[in-house]
Amino acid sequence: MSRLDWVVLIVTLLGIITYGLLKSRTTKDLDGYFLCNRMVPWYIVLLSIMGTQASAVTFLSAPGQAYTDGMRFVQYYFGLPLAMVLLCITFVPAFRKLKIYTAYEFLEKRFDLKTRSLTSFLFLLQRGISTGISISAPSIILSSLLGWDLIWANIFMGGLLIIYTVTGGAKAIAYTQQLQLIIIFAGMIMAGYMVVHLLPPGIGFIDALHVGGKAGKLNVITSGVNKDGFNWSDPYNMWSGVIGGFFLQLSYFGTDQSQVGRYLTARSVSESRLGLLLNGLIKIPMQFLILLIGVLVFSFYQFVKEPVFFNQSQLSILSHSKYKDSLSRLREEYDASQTLKIKEMHQLSQYSGNIESPANQQARTALSAINDLKVKDRATVRRWLGDSEVHGDANDTNYIFLRFVMDYLPKGLIGLLIAVIFLASWGSIAAALNSLASCTIVDFHKRFSAKTIPEKREYNLSKGYSLLWGIFCIGVAQMANHIGHSLIEAVNVLGSLFYGVILGIFLVAFYVKRVGGAAVFISALIIEAGIILLYVLSQYGIVHLAFLWLNAIGALGVVVLSLLISLSKEKRTPPEQSTQTSMQRSA
Amino acid sequence: MEEEKEKVPLFKKWSYWYALEIGFLLALIIFFYLFTKHFS
Repeated sequence: MSRLDWVVLIVTLLGIITYGLLKSRTTKDLDGYFLCNRMVPWYIVLLSIMGTQASAVTFLSAPGQAYTDGMRFVQYYFGLPLAMVLLCITFVPAFRKLKIYTAYEFLEKRFDLKTRSLTSFLFLLQRGISTGISISAPSIILSSLLGWDLIWANIFMGGLLIIYTVTGGAKAIAYTQQLQLIIIFAGMIMAGYMVVHLLPPGIGFIDALHVGGKAGKLNVITSGVNKDGFNWSDPYNMWSGVIGGFFLQLSYFGTDQSQVGRYLTARSVSESRLGLLLNGLIKIPMQFLILLIGVLVFSFYQFVKEPVFFNQSQLSILSHSKYKDSLSRLREEYDASQTLKIKEMHQLSQYSGNIESPANQQARTALSAINDLKVKDRATVRRWLGDSEVHGDANDTNYIFLRFVMDYLPKGLIGLLIAVIFLASWGSIAAALNSLASCTIVDFHKRFSAKTIPEKREYNLSKGYSLLWGIFCIGVAQMANHIGHSLIEAVNVLGSLFYGVILGIFLVAFYVKRVGGAAVFISALIIEAGIILLYVLSQYGIVHLAFLWLNAIGALGVVVLSLLISLSKEKRTPPEQSTQTSMQRSA
Repeated sequence: MEEEKEKVPLFKKWSYWYALEIGFLLALIIFFYLFTKHFS
């Protein structure tokens, strides 16, 4: 990075920290620290919700995902608007009416203490681990760019973020997220513009789309149906997006404290609703545009030499391994094919007016062969990296966009886009730390404390827990560095293991009035064990099921099983006692 | 109750907001379908 990039990066990050500290003033109690005294306007709620959901992973992995797999990932968000509607009808008014701090407090009022504690514990477990993964994403970039030790990169990353999160609580988080999103959007718009600007003369935006489309990258809508029928292990198609995505998003926004804590800060029910509904309108087009940048980057690389593997540090590992000579030969062959590709692409662009011309057809045939060779060479490199002796990371999805930024964008913009990745990460991590602290103090420390804790001490304890969770998440980040899959998928898979069951508990609480605490508690434990088993079986190829379906199975499983347990209990209970029990419950 | 006193922004009822949300999703899916078809 140039000196200008460093200046842009440092000024942006310090600016955000300073702004966060300036916005730290709240009342020194739980209401001020976790809920901004419920005084936040709808547009800050909207940006805070968006800033919490969009992590570094969103901006780092999504363009890379579009580059390798096309745009079908956008379907993952199709369930989101539907989830927003249900949230606004049921969850938001119920949470606001009870004036709760955490979503899990509601479960004690509806069921019992053990159901609240179990759900809050599952949340802490899932959110603590996934936040660690979210810290490791920008840390990997830091270490790759600066040559820093990854352990120190994680500590540096988490340390900066903790400054304003611990000091200012929810208010500092909400207001910094507003500024962060403005910078993020500006950076991404500039990056999108630059990709088109860098295309060869005569190739415009629409031409780039055609290039991506011909390579199958503009597969925004896919049915998930192949010659054998519906493919249940296909993670991203319209049906898994609408149905599985609906359950995932409902669970995330309705039962994950990192999101519930954002819209509980609103001034009123209407402002909470407005923030959520506008998020439902904006999120899909926003994700579409981020993925489109990935496709444009793909099209751009058709006119220049495309790296055989985008993570250069992994290539360097290979060049010092037993594959050293093989890699050297592969690179020579690959470079020659890339030179030929550039020539053929330029030829093809000249003949674009006459698609059926012999020259055009010849260029297409040559390009198809070159592409096959590229796919083969990339697969070979991945296989070598996956060798137990090499022990490399065979997935370069997270490095595609970054490699493009570093190699082709002008000075200053590189620094800004690195800052964008940091800011996106900070927005989601800060909200997560705040929610982890709020659940720890409200659902466990305060709830199980024999004595009444003074307000000032609660406030200080909340700060202490925010700091401790920050340290815990940095610890998880150290271990997350070895995850071989795309980070975006790792976070989503982890969420799907727990979200379905948590959502099932809430659905029973809202819609199945006859089910009590004992039935829902037992059901949640059984179904959670079943979900983990299903996931393990799918990893071994015994069951073919994409992770998004785990949300729907978990939620419906808890609803159905708790209802069955409740019905069988009612059957066993004598009629007089059963009537008495239901009367007590209604009272 | 807090909710009953509050005015719905832009529309008369919240149900119009919900219809807008679902309608917009359908419009996006149709647009994406046409987009996919056009560029494939």
